[in-house]
Amino acid sequence: MALKLNVNGRDVEADVAPDTPLLWVLRDHLGLTGTKFGCGGSYCGACTVHVNGSPVRSCQLPVSGAADVPITTIEALEAAHPELLEVWVKNNVAQCGYCQSGQLMSAAALLDGNASPTDADIDTAMAGNLCRCGTYVRIRAAIHEAAAQRTGGNAS
Amino acid sequence: MNAITNLSPDLSRRNFLGVSGVFVLGACLPSCARTPRPPVATEPFVPNLFLALEPDGTVHVTAHRSEMGQGIRTALAQVVADELDADWSRVVVDQADGDAKYGDQNTDGSRSILLNYERLRTAGAAARLMLRQAAAQHWGVGVDEVEATNHEVIHAGSGQRLGYGDLAGIAATLPVPEDPPRKSEAEHRYIGKHAVHVDAADIVRGKGTYGADFQMPNMATAVVVRCPWLGGGVKNILNKPNTAPGLLGIEILDPSASAGPVFNPVGGVAVVADDTYTAMRIARDLEIEWTDSPNQTFSSDTLQEELRKALAQPGTPVPDSEKGDVDAVFAEGMTELSATYETPFLAHAPMEPPVAIADVSGGMCVVHGPFQDPQSARGLVAAWLGYEPENVTVTPTLLGGAFGRKSKPDFGLEAVELSKRLGRPIRVQWSREDDIRHDYFHASSAQYHRAAIDERGHPKAWLERTAFPSITTVFDGGATMPADWELEMGFSNLPYTVENQRMEFAGLRPGVRVGWMRSVCNIFHAFSANVFADEMAAAVGRDPIEHRLEILPASGVLKVPGMQPPEGHGLDVGRLRHVIERVRALSEWDRPRPEGTGLGFAVHHSFRSYVAVVLEASAVNGTPKVSNAYVVLDCGTYVNADTCVAQMEGAVVFGLSLALHGKIDMADGVVAQSNFHDYPLLRMSEAPATSVELVPAQGRLPAGVGEPGVPPVAPALVNALFAATGTRHRALPIKVA
Repeated sequence: MALKLNVNGRDVEADVAPDTPLLWVLRDHLGLTGTKFGCGGSYCGACTVHVNGSPVRSCQLPVSGAADVPITTIEALEAAHPELLEVWVKNNVAQCGYCQSGQLMSAAALLDGNASPTDADIDTAMAGNLCRCGTYVRIRAAIHEAAAQRTGGNAS
Repeated sequence: MNAITNLSPDLSRRNFLGVSGVFVLGACLPSCARTPRPPVATEPFVPNLFLALEPDGTVHVTAHRSEMGQGIRTALAQVVADELDADWSRVVVDQADGDAKYGDQNTDGSRSILLNYERLRTAGAAARLMLRQAAAQHWGVGVDEVEATNHEVIHAGSGQRLGYGDLAGIAATLPVPEDPPRKSEAEHRYIGKHAVHVDAADIVRGKGTYGADFQMPNMATAVVVRCPWLGGGVKNILNKPNTAPGLLGIEILDPSASAGPVFNPVGGVAVVADDTYTAMRIARDLEIEWTDSPNQTFSSDTLQEELRKALAQPGTPVPDSEKGDVDAVFAEGMTELSATYETPFLAHAPMEPPVAIADVSGGMCVVHGPFQDPQSARGLVAAWLGYEPENVTVTPTLLGGAFGRKSKPDFGLEAVELSKRLGRPIRVQWSREDDIRHDYFHASSAQYHRAAIDERGHPKAWLERTAFPSITTVFDGGATMPADWELEMGFSNLPYTVENQRMEFAGLRPGVRVGWMRSVCNIFHAFSANVFADEMAAAVGRDPIEHRLEILPASGVLKVPGMQPPEGHGLDVGRLRHVIERVRALSEWDRPRPEGTGLGFAVHHSFRSYVAVVLEASAVNGTPKVSNAYVVLDCGTYVNADTCVAQMEGAVVFGLSLALHGKIDMADGVVAQSNFHDYPLLRMSEAPATSVELVPAQGRLPAGVGEPGVPPVAPALVNALFAATGTRHRALPIKVA
């Protein structure tokens, strides 16, 4: 059955079973491999995408639940959040980088709802994103720096 | 954040754009005596394995080590580009296949820079000299009259200059010098400085290619259901579907012998399908009967009991390690303390579960995946298929974390076997459950320490025993005992001054595969030794750092037995003392902390590096909370300063994960844990603010960076919690009260 989806501003179709998790539709059927498989149980956040603007673990969301709403993946994050990508690169936030798509999607959702998050806000918003390399301190600093850039101030 | 005092301006890839190239060329005055440019070359200039210069000036550096987050692709390129004096913005990094021509490609043991620093400097320097020679020949001047700098060769006398790319054709005709002049340390422009990782821009756009991202035409995906216990095979599939939408085949993979080719797959039932989810769904619903195996009786609790029992009696003495007469001193009735420390099995749990893509066709085999050692993987694939290695290509993708897990290419061999059977490219995708349950686990362990101490807490006699399942049990079906190299990871080479000392060890065979995980046996040996030293100081009310400095020799280089080449490196006590002094200053050790908060210290030498850690911790309703981490690293000559800092930050998180959460249990041969809900990793809210200081040590032998930060973290936490609460935790993970 062909399902109609809107991914990164484009209308696309995917011929998959409706219970297929969005993650696998993105990766295997739409060629959007930036979204990663980490656990399949929504514990790690590597598969985080935005559905209707909210961060969602795509490994747990049946694709049928994402029809008719805008889906944004890491491949399109730069348009809305160039500052996040810039500070992430400049500060060498990523180590292996595998979790960073999910980290960035969660960070973007945080900044969309909170222009100047505190450390506690960041810890809460990023609680669902694991990083085995241990880049947490750089993620925290980079979010502060990106927030400052967006609001025109300087990073503390 | 992290203070690095010796950073040069960022080496971001675009910093130099607009500085060289058109602007500089235009600066040559019309009155210059000019020789026409050489004709544009048709081939790149390839003076050695690691460097190729395109006629357009693009420099390709070949990375023959695998990238798993340690920044090695960047660091290797920094070394070559520095000696070449290349414009960093014109350097690209190509990934090498596994091939013996590169020498060692086994990206483990924190030794990529150690093994390659000098040869890569020479590779870059040779090319730079040849470009100078090419320009001198072209201009008809002496080589000594021309300089090569920032992608150009310049003849100051005439004001002429040519880009590196312009000289590719002539340089390619020249003999390659064996011993080209190399830069002095002061001339280094990239080595020892900060560089943004070459893959960073791709990674933040979702464009980095990891194992599962590699695509091949007509590729199918396989998910393998493996026997819950090691060594079991498929007896029967009770509900094998004949057809299902998307199902391409169900294949039985025989188990490999538990000894023998150690990185062979464990076997199981492979479900091959059009896409990953279909394969996973069908695999999930299979009901399989497995054959028995001797490992079905294996219990990690029982093993732990046996390790404790082994410690209660004399073990095998470490050869030539005994000093004085430990028993005589113990009979003197001095103040004594003794303690037993225990650590559990751990899983690597890289964020990217194992995955590989193989295409076996026409007598050739191509494999792509996150391999730490593509060269040994190539050999194993060739042996598996009965092919010559020349007909097998193994190419590493980016590794989504590895930590030692992906030096074992069992997952690649699964893909190879399935591709051979189905006659098409196959991707084998492991689930997280597969990864946790079928790891090569970090071994559980126990240590016993007993010391007689004087009134200052100095040990007059020290008996230490260690017991753990050796990694050699995976290589050798008859092995029971730890190997020398495992004991040399923080056990048989304690640096402290003790007149009477004995070291003993014991080993047991486990019923699971064990393997090296980031810093390996240093994890438990550094843990027990650092906590026990802290206990000595506490027993007499001494400051732990003051005490530690007292029980170390004042200076000297201790031989570290068995350390891999190059020779000439021992444990330099002066450098060890220095990182201790520096972490005392960095942490403001003497500054009073709030009530209920304690500082804990630990230091360890591993992979030729020296790392001292202080953690600031408290216990909130019994739950440990680490607020600050201070780390000082002396890794000798380093290439990318920022990477060294990042690796220490990551080591703090990795060390806290194992100190606070990590534990794998086996009962009836079956692993109890399966995913991050029951094998938790540290999360952001638990990550302390981290300050890292890098000891300037350029000119010294390069040492390890990826692993040596991990061992001191867990003991520093235990020591901090003791300072904060008075409770001494001697087993990991730390039990919440």
